[in-house]
Amino acid sequence: MIARRYSRGFDALMSIPLVIYAIIIVALIVAMFGQITSESVRLAFTDPALRHSIWLSLTTSTASTLLSMLVAVPAGYTLSRRVFRGHTLVDSLIDLPIVLPPLVMGLAILIFFNTSVGRWLDRGLVEHGLFVYQPLGIVLAQFIVGCAFCIRVVKAGFDAFDWRYEETAMTLGANQVQCFFRVVIPNVGASLVAGGVITWARIFGLFGPILLVAGTMRGKTEIMPTTIFLETSIGRFEVALVIAEMMVLISLVTLIIFKRLGGKGVVG
Amino acid sequence: MSAAELEIEDLCFCVGAFRMEHFSLKLVPGEYFVITGPNGAGKTVLLKLIAGLYRPDSGAIRIDGQDVVDLPPWRRGLGAVLQEGLLFPNRTVAENIAFGLELRRVSKAERHCAVGEMAERLGISSLLSRRTEKLSGGERQRVALARTLVLKPPLLLLDEPINAADEQARNTILCRQLKELQRENDLTVIHVAHSRGEIDRVADRVGHLVNGQIDRIVICI
Repeated sequence: MIARRYSRGFDALMSIPLVIYAIIIVALIVAMFGQITSESVRLAFTDPALRHSIWLSLTTSTASTLLSMLVAVPAGYTLSRRVFRGHTLVDSLIDLPIVLPPLVMGLAILIFFNTSVGRWLDRGLVEHGLFVYQPLGIVLAQFIVGCAFCIRVVKAGFDAFDWRYEETAMTLGANQVQCFFRVVIPNVGASLVAGGVITWARIFGLFGPILLVAGTMRGKTEIMPTTIFLETSIGRFEVALVIAEMMVLISLVTLIIFKRLGGKGVVG
Repeated sequence: MSAAELEIEDLCFCVGAFRMEHFSLKLVPGEYFVITGPNGAGKTVLLKLIAGLYRPDSGAIRIDGQDVVDLPPWRRGLGAVLQEGLLFPNRTVAENIAFGLELRRVSKAERHCAVGEMAERLGISSLLSRRTEKLSGGERQRVALARTLVLKPPLLLLDEPINAADEQARNTILCRQLKELQRENDLTVIHVAHSRGEIDRVADRVGHLVNGQIDRIVICI
């Protein structure tokens, strides 16, 4: 980016809202970190239920991100490169989980599992259920909300890569598979990784739909955002704060990685 | 591989406001055919139709007698340098030139040799290890040209492949190299060009395209 400066006064005026907003965010984070004590950190990390919640958050977020990437890469490529009947409709449908409140998506998942197909999927193979109030339900809720986000970011990466490179490769003898793996993927790789990272961050902080689909069973379906909810509701604010601060740090690191990889799209 | 014969028969194609109707053209093996014409005449469209990047509404495109209309670009056995001469950004100049050879599973030693030889011919040996983003327009076009010519395709489509080079280099070095390479490798070439000097130095025949139709053909002696 080339920084050009024409009028210092105008630049300063335009920067004021940015500075104010940045100060608000920093003040909130500093206020949170100011409340932390070594005792609350010790309490948080020695509690097996909380350790399980951290571990479950990290593993389910990673699993649902990988699942999202498996869907988002081909889906993003198709939406970016192909024009088909119903393209706008499909494109809008993909955006729905992004614009809808996550709680609504959670409610939709829960209601789906109350239909005959849903009941069969949930309890057809395992008596006590596969998804509802089960750890797999966390992955499912995270995947459904996160995948739309992932498709959007990955598609932005494909959009930014000129399709004429693929035409050029075809005239040199590359078929579509070779074009995809030898030309497209190596050139949009950073965007794909950025898509994965930002999706992970988004999924990691998801709360509403998980609360509805998987519940908040301590030691079973409790993840970091639900831990904050539970700890706050029983008055252990200091433990909730430790978990919240961990989430702030993890989110900050993932956002920095995303920006360093040149990620574009929803938050690029 | 010997030069290909190209026959286009009764080709019809519409895209937006542009119409190409009942277009026919025949090139004998080893011919160097130059297409000129105003902007929007359909020169690039014609090359993209032959390359398989556009699909005609009707008509036939035969390469050595085989109708290739239903074949994808990579099965047509031709080479093309499109107008922009796009180079793959993740590859160095040498890796760009070697791209088609890699796809054809040519051994690393042979690839290295062929890339070096072609780079030498086109005066880009000093650029081989460079990344592509810092090349000038003329250098980029030479690399794109080398990337296609190294494959020695029996039918070569060139869409203003050297227009970014300065006039002197274009009319002397590059045109001479193109003509020599065409003769040595026995290639049939369709070359879209605007420069009079460029046309005079390479063409066997020149077709003037207007509104999707060739309105006159000049034989160069």
